[in-house]
Amino acid sequence: MKKRRKFNKKQQNSRYSKLSLFQRPDVKFFKPCPFSVKNAPVINYKNIKLLKKYISESGKILPSRITSVSFKKQKELSTSIKRARLLALI
Amino acid sequence: MNCYEHTFITKQDLPVSQTKTLLSKYEGIIKKNSGKIIQIEEWGLRNLSHIIKNNKKGFYFHIKLEGDGSTVKELEKAENIDEMLIRYLTVRVKKHDLDENYFEKKGLSENKQK
Repeated sequence: MKKRRKFNKKQQNSRYSKLSLFQRPDVKFFKPCPFSVKNAPVINYKNIKLLKKYISESGKILPSRITSVSFKKQKELSTSIKRARLLALI
Repeated sequence: MNCYEHTFITKQDLPVSQTKTLLSKYEGIIKKNSGKIIQIEEWGLRNLSHIIKNNKKGFYFHIKLEGDGSTVKELEKAENIDEMLIRYLTVRVKKHDLDENYFEKKGLSENKQK
């Protein structure tokens, strides 16, 4: 039991001790592309429910650095959003 | 032969019978120009997300067809002049998926039957 406690303390320290204001955190926050995973939804201009997740409240397309969509899929997304706009679906 | 998906929106204040005649008219144009109709979906009267030519609503029709570039050219030529239509869009697809219909009102029809 004692050993475990010590180990936990070490981990906590190592995570927070280095974090100063001007230092990058050791742990990078990586989020995989939601369209490149297994059983991912197909991007289509008729699937309004899916497209609405990737536009802002005012109807603009969200940048991929926020949604972490890959470059290839972001191109597909933007074309399908523009098609849906033309048909006044979004 | 290529696969195309074609949608067009008609004006809101047309009677239902007139929208059907419009559909059959464009079906005729497709068949004349060596095209083949595979499926027709009627999405019905929907609210437009923004006003187009003083219209707030419109009847949506979706046609899945096979044909050459010339069939689409003739179709759009006829639709360009038509005053009953608000908008149209043709998209070329590699393969038709006939299973999914995003605009079918599943929940409503089930509730009505109960």
